[in-house]
Amino acid sequence: MSSLFGALSIAVRSLYAQEGALDTTSNNIANVNTPGYSREIPILDEAAPLNTGQIAIGNGVDFDGVQSVRDNILDLQIDQQTQQQNQLQTYVNSMNQVQSLFNDASGGGLSSAINQFFSSFQQLAGNPTDIPTRQAVLSAGQDLASEFQQTGQQLLTIQQGLDQQVTQTVNQINTDTAQLATLNEQISSQPNSEQANMLEDQQYQVLNNLSQLVDVAATQTNSGGLTITTGNGVALVSSDQSFALSTATNPSTGFQDVFSQGSDVSSSFTGGQLAGLLEARDQAIPAVQSNLDNLAAGIINAVNSQSLKGDDLNGNPGGDFFQPVVQPSPGSNAGAAENMAMAITDPTLIAAAASGGGQGDNSNALALANIQNNPIVNGETATDYYADLVSTVGNDVESATDEQESVGLVLTQLQNQQSNTSGVSLDEEAANLILYQRAYEAAAEVVAAINNLSNDILQTVQ
Amino acid sequence: MGMRINPDPTRDMLAGLQQDRQQADQAIQELSTGRKVNQPSDNPAAVAGLIVNNAQTSAVNSYLQNISTLQGSLQEADSTLNSVVTSLSQAISLGVEGANGTNNQTDLNALAQEVNGIQQQILGYANDSFEGNYLFAGTDLKTQPFVADDSSTSGVSYVGNSGVNSIEIGSGQAVPTNVPGSQLFTASGADVFQALADLTSALQSGNNIPAAESEVQNAFNYINAQRTFYGTTLDRLNTATSFLNQESTQLSTEQNNLVGADMATAASQLTQAETALDASLAAGGKISQQSLLDYLT
Repeated sequence: MSSLFGALSIAVRSLYAQEGALDTTSNNIANVNTPGYSREIPILDEAAPLNTGQIAIGNGVDFDGVQSVRDNILDLQIDQQTQQQNQLQTYVNSMNQVQSLFNDASGGGLSSAINQFFSSFQQLAGNPTDIPTRQAVLSAGQDLASEFQQTGQQLLTIQQGLDQQVTQTVNQINTDTAQLATLNEQISSQPNSEQANMLEDQQYQVLNNLSQLVDVAATQTNSGGLTITTGNGVALVSSDQSFALSTATNPSTGFQDVFSQGSDVSSSFTGGQLAGLLEARDQAIPAVQSNLDNLAAGIINAVNSQSLKGDDLNGNPGGDFFQPVVQPSPGSNAGAAENMAMAITDPTLIAAAASGGGQGDNSNALALANIQNNPIVNGETATDYYADLVSTVGNDVESATDEQESVGLVLTQLQNQQSNTSGVSLDEEAANLILYQRAYEAAAEVVAAINNLSNDILQTVQ
Repeated sequence: MGMRINPDPTRDMLAGLQQDRQQADQAIQELSTGRKVNQPSDNPAAVAGLIVNNAQTSAVNSYLQNISTLQGSLQEADSTLNSVVTSLSQAISLGVEGANGTNNQTDLNALAQEVNGIQQQILGYANDSFEGNYLFAGTDLKTQPFVADDSSTSGVSYVGNSGVNSIEIGSGQAVPTNVPGSQLFTASGADVFQALADLTSALQSGNNIPAAESEVQNAFNYINAQRTFYGTTLDRLNTATSFLNQESTQLSTEQNNLVGADMATAASQLTQAETALDASLAAGGKISQQSLLDYLT
């Protein structure tokens, strides 16, 4: 059997429920521009019916809280693409600096110094005893050495810049993981609350931030917390504990290696800014540097050994033209570019003549000029080797840029998809607002009607 | 209800704007630099081609410069030898005159003195230099090659060497740059100074004038024959120059194909990109200005 006050209580519960729904809408509207916010929907449930003997009467509505609308799989995909995108972007930015050193298309680079150097020997062949011509050979040699030195030095400077960023990135990673550990703790202490929704949004936001920095794999625990490792299993966050990464100088490179709980994990990263920085610093740039060193060493060795075969203007046997390459270890030309320098400063010491050919003989100058056409670096001419070096750098940047663009497109699509699901639409919220407002008004009318009815009854009774 | 539509189109709009701007920037860079390749990643293969092309261009320029320097010295040497030949033909005339039997000793002495003067003149020619280098000293470019020497029967000694330098006028193509003075002036059987000294003493003594005159004739023929080196080498240089100029044009065409911008295409790309950019901006300006909320009163 139903009662007047039963109807009142249904109406009041409805008021509460519509208020809750209005609150949710209002919260959505308020957060329309909040990064990482997922729209929420009110959970309205039909209340359990009242059984009165043989009939069951509906008992109104229950407001069972709010639910964030989010697609966890999508979030995961976004994080993965974000890792890749940031890795590529960081790598491309670094290698763009590198390729600017080899900008032969815009008049930069080493090729014109190489050409002028060999061309100066051609001039010398045309006028082997002329002092100004000899002086020009020395200047061209000095220019070439300076170009190699500067390029080597600038590569190092770029590496040093990246090295600083490695340290900064590690610090940012540690800030994020510490925050995620704190969020884990907060979420597990108050599961399934409105508070937990907010914390999950934050969790998502920090995780996405972290994904920009490093590759992460996250698994959800029963309590709603996240266990986070890198893609290769380096522990970052476990329940309320975070494991900070640290850096320490590698004595052989002079750069910062990344450590996790005592072990060097520098080469284990596969995504995010950190992986991009480390890849450029530890692999791509050293490869360029080593090619540059080989080229410098090839030129130095070929020119020196030809110089030793000839006679200088004073009729003495020729000596080294450049300072000889000092190999730090057998087979390694490391430092050859950066340390390239002239061995002679006196123009009469250039060995233009063949041995015993007399001071006006030019055959050694001709042989020196012809080094340009000889295979002196890994079976290639200096020019071909250099052209390969530059096109390798160019190809590397080009393919990384292309990849970055396509990952960027995928990421934008995923983010749009996420917005489709989780983004706040003001149109939708306005429509809901009307809906909830009308429902509230109607419930209020019911309360007023019951009030009138109960009044009638009271007056009848009096 | 159908699929929910992304309520926030700004991300798409920004990505579109960025792409439009990038295309406009690229077109502007092409137009302002005249190059479609401005960094290695724009076209790595073209940049590698350009580096090789630059090296070839530099080599062609070196060859052309070598040729132009050599042309100067060869022309100078040839014209000096022309003077030598003219002087020798004068000496031959003097010998013929001395041999005709109508001269007394005074006349012969005068002729002998003239022949001696010619020898001195040719000694000067043989020591001719070009831009500070002796032309006929072999490769001993800084040493005066012919010196007066009383101990020599010809009165002249050669102190240069017999070296011959070569320079490159093309990849793997070398040409000799000189003929040593010893080969030109003091060759055995055709020694210019010996012939003139012999003619001088024949005139002075009045004996063997025809034999001495024919010795000079011999030297004259020999030098004329040697001069062909200069003619043929200069011809070779001319041929090489036109070949190299052609190569240089070809290289610069190739360079333009590799990295040069097609201005017309770049200009129309710029227009397209700007139009797209305008459209994107106009569309962006209209985004999200209104929602249902505007209509609730």
